[in-house]
Amino acid sequence: MTPLVVSGPPATAFRPPPVPRRPPVVVRPVLRLRRSAPDLALCGLLLAVVVVVQGWNITGYPSLSDDEGTYLAQAWAVQHGKGLAPYTYWYDHPPLGWLQLAVLTWVPSVVAPELMSVAPMRCAMLLVSAASAVLVYVLGRRLGLQHWAAGLAMALFGLSPLSVVFQREIFLDNIAVMWMLLAFCLAASPRRHLWHHFGAGLAAAVAVLTKETILVVLPALLLTMWRHSHRDTRKFAVTGAVLACALTGLSYPLFALLNHELFPGPGHVSLVGGVTYQMSRAGSGFLLSPGSAAHRVLDSWLYYDRALPLGGLLAAVLLLVGVRRSVTGRSLAGPAVAVLLLAAVALRPSGYLPAMYVIQALPFLALTLAGVAAAIACALLRTRPGFCRRWYPARWTAVVLLVAAAGFCVGPRWYDGTRVALTADVNSPYRAAVSWLRDPDKVPDARRTRVLTDDAVWLDLVHSGFAPRTGAVWFYKADLDPAVAKTLPHGWRDVDYVVTTPTVRRDAPSLPTVDAALRHSAPVAAFGKGPSRVEIRRVDRVRERAR
Amino acid sequence: MLTSVVVCAVSLTLFWMAAFTLWWQMHAWRTPETLAATRFEQPSGDTALSFSLLLPARHEQAVLEPTVRRLLESTHTRFEILVIVGHDDPETAAVAERVAAAAPRHVRVIVDTHAKKNKPKALNTALPHCLGQVVGVFDAEDQVHPALLAHVDHAFRATGADVVQGGVQLINFHSSWYSLRNCLEYFFWFRSRLHLHAQKGFIPLGGNTVFVRTDVLREAGGWDPNCLAEDCDLGVRLSSKGRRVVVAYDSEMVTREETPDSLLSLLKQRTRWNQGFLQVYRKRDWRRLPTFGQRMLARYTLMTPFMQAFTGVVIPLNVVVTFLLDVPVQVAVLTFLPAVTAFVTFVFEVVGLHDFGVQYGLHVRFRHYLKLIAGGPWYQLLLAGAAIRAVWREQRGRNEWELTQHVGAHLIREDVTS
Repeated sequence: MTPLVVSGPPATAFRPPPVPRRPPVVVRPVLRLRRSAPDLALCGLLLAVVVVVQGWNITGYPSLSDDEGTYLAQAWAVQHGKGLAPYTYWYDHPPLGWLQLAVLTWVPSVVAPELMSVAPMRCAMLLVSAASAVLVYVLGRRLGLQHWAAGLAMALFGLSPLSVVFQREIFLDNIAVMWMLLAFCLAASPRRHLWHHFGAGLAAAVAVLTKETILVVLPALLLTMWRHSHRDTRKFAVTGAVLACALTGLSYPLFALLNHELFPGPGHVSLVGGVTYQMSRAGSGFLLSPGSAAHRVLDSWLYYDRALPLGGLLAAVLLLVGVRRSVTGRSLAGPAVAVLLLAAVALRPSGYLPAMYVIQALPFLALTLAGVAAAIACALLRTRPGFCRRWYPARWTAVVLLVAAAGFCVGPRWYDGTRVALTADVNSPYRAAVSWLRDPDKVPDARRTRVLTDDAVWLDLVHSGFAPRTGAVWFYKADLDPAVAKTLPHGWRDVDYVVTTPTVRRDAPSLPTVDAALRHSAPVAAFGKGPSRVEIRRVDRVRERAR
Repeated sequence: MLTSVVVCAVSLTLFWMAAFTLWWQMHAWRTPETLAATRFEQPSGDTALSFSLLLPARHEQAVLEPTVRRLLESTHTRFEILVIVGHDDPETAAVAERVAAAAPRHVRVIVDTHAKKNKPKALNTALPHCLGQVVGVFDAEDQVHPALLAHVDHAFRATGADVVQGGVQLINFHSSWYSLRNCLEYFFWFRSRLHLHAQKGFIPLGGNTVFVRTDVLREAGGWDPNCLAEDCDLGVRLSSKGRRVVVAYDSEMVTREETPDSLLSLLKQRTRWNQGFLQVYRKRDWRRLPTFGQRMLARYTLMTPFMQAFTGVVIPLNVVVTFLLDVPVQVAVLTFLPAVTAFVTFVFEVVGLHDFGVQYGLHVRFRHYLKLIAGGPWYQLLLAGAAIRAVWREQRGRNEWELTQHVGAHLIREDVTS
């Protein structure tokens, strides 16, 4: 047997090429917010403030909106097994938003069914706002902001009067924002885990299926993910995210297809029809041309707060301009792009701009504004390593002056806005109207009485004994839903009462039955004053008969 | 109602199976750190262990000589090559004797005299002759990187492992539609899935580029001569004894191989593996694994070929059934879950093909992606066929060794590209 060669020269003179050394994967210090005391303390404190400010007087301000009533009624319908909506679901929005609302409000609605109306159920939105606020903080930290800057973003997002007004309301946009923020947080996951990116795609899809307009932000999410993924695993991570998002999103058309309601046809609603309607809604005009509907919406936003929308937009532009030179600019490129995308869509002259559109921009505006503040502070104080620190008193003075100036600009408006939000009760007319209709002396047989009503108080009326769908009727369904119109063979003559709110009065001229009912009715009770009053009008059939 | 429940149950089961497979397939790419950890560590320079490299060769006179020559180019100095030939195979024996004469200090020829021959018997024949501290196994057509032994040496010492499994990669993806899929299967298996198995402490070892400490191997009694998947069986036995297995994959360091030369031989090879997996499953060595999770992983992994065959047929059927049966829409949506997961796996395969091309510096053309997509269902059929054939053969007690022919397509390609 040949002995094993234990030492000696290589068998041949062949020298293989040296194996090239790969650049080692840098194991980054992972941000562990759950174990970081300063983060927990700051975030917890801010969360408490946000919850108190948003929760205090949540039922009294702002005034109930018909959209809130619509979504909550649809959640109620889901809870009671009446399908996706009390009336025919017509693919106006994907149903995931109010499915979540139904889950969120399920326990209280079982314990006390009459709580399932708009004002009390606004408390559910408090959970959503709290989650979103925490996610803004986490995202800020994950995008590289310092504690105070992430806290600033969270405070701007949760405490701006604009936020307080809109986040209190039961809008699908608020839920969608929460999911989109989760998607951003997962995309910027410090572990750069494939399944985190997969989850980001999934969360983004849930956001889009909650409120479809948030689709606009997806490129910014992709950018964030691209920046935060590692070169070696990026193609798998991004593919996973895109797939998760696309495939989950496709479940909606699949749902329509399986219901045979994907394409329009006689006698049924369809997804394509719903999308066509949404796309063809009358435009609100150009945002910046005075007098247009869009401009009025803009004015209403700026009435509550100027610092966040205008400052945030400016900050986004600054961040993207300085993207080559500024670290902050690069790390906040995602939110900045999101702001500009949302702004660009709002500036379409032909588009329809609803008031709640701004909700989707709020977290990104807050983050960009906080980012610019952080960049300025960083530049002034030269906190980055390697800078020599000179002129320190002057630098600190400049910082203090800037903070004071910002406080001077923002303070009064925020103070007024917050004070109103915490004290004003603008919903007493709604409550009074409901208790009037609930009074058996005024309306003896609620079961057999038909009321055309704003969606905002529809659930209250249902709880008072009016028959859902046919007794208490969403006012516009009388004209727009053939199934409801069939139950009103004599048009306005089949209606007993109309509850008019600003929304009803605004939309009535385009709805013949509602308009006729208004013309043939007289107020029997009025609550509140001026254009925001709520009236109960009895339809006067006797006079008509006499005539 | 009953239909809905059945459809839901089937869909969810299929979904979880597909999801687990996907999860495990993507193991290496979970984080950049995981990916970096799957590679060989750079050796420190000194070598400490000695190797006995077993090279069973049967009717492989065409490819044996280049393989041995390349092994001899190794940068490691302390190794011996034991070429194992059959007493009834004079052509291969002649080639073996010739290369042994050319490098007498490194190469020996061992003659296997078993009447019925197979790979485990050949390996067992050579085991008593091994002088090195570590036994390595290669196939006659393998292209081994010269620096591999040095890396393995370092891996043994740095990790204290009992077994080191190096990467094996089929490289001739251009040869045919099924070789493309076959290459990719290897890519995902060695690049990713095996690392998960090593981490979980249950691993079916590969057939070659596997290195075991000689004393550990002797203590385990060598290879099971009656098992058609002796490599898998060895891995299962060593894992159940708690032996530490390390897997390392480096695209420069992998052992390059070729796919079977025809569809029929691929079918035969796959049948053999499936039957081998079935045998290992029935030997129940895996039951000695300490934790429940490990035993479940073992059970699932050893049944994988059959599950794969089953899911490949049932997933499309499930979706078709949805359209034909009258089930509620929510249930119908649910039936798409497995198909969606399978689709995600499919897309990750396309991305994997791209990564494969980048890793090996191969030019993957657009038509290869098309082939990959178009070939998917047919390959699935082939796998299902092999699984059924394996069960049938096992039932009939037919477990003779169906050898795969090698023509050296990966060697030719090497010459063309270099």
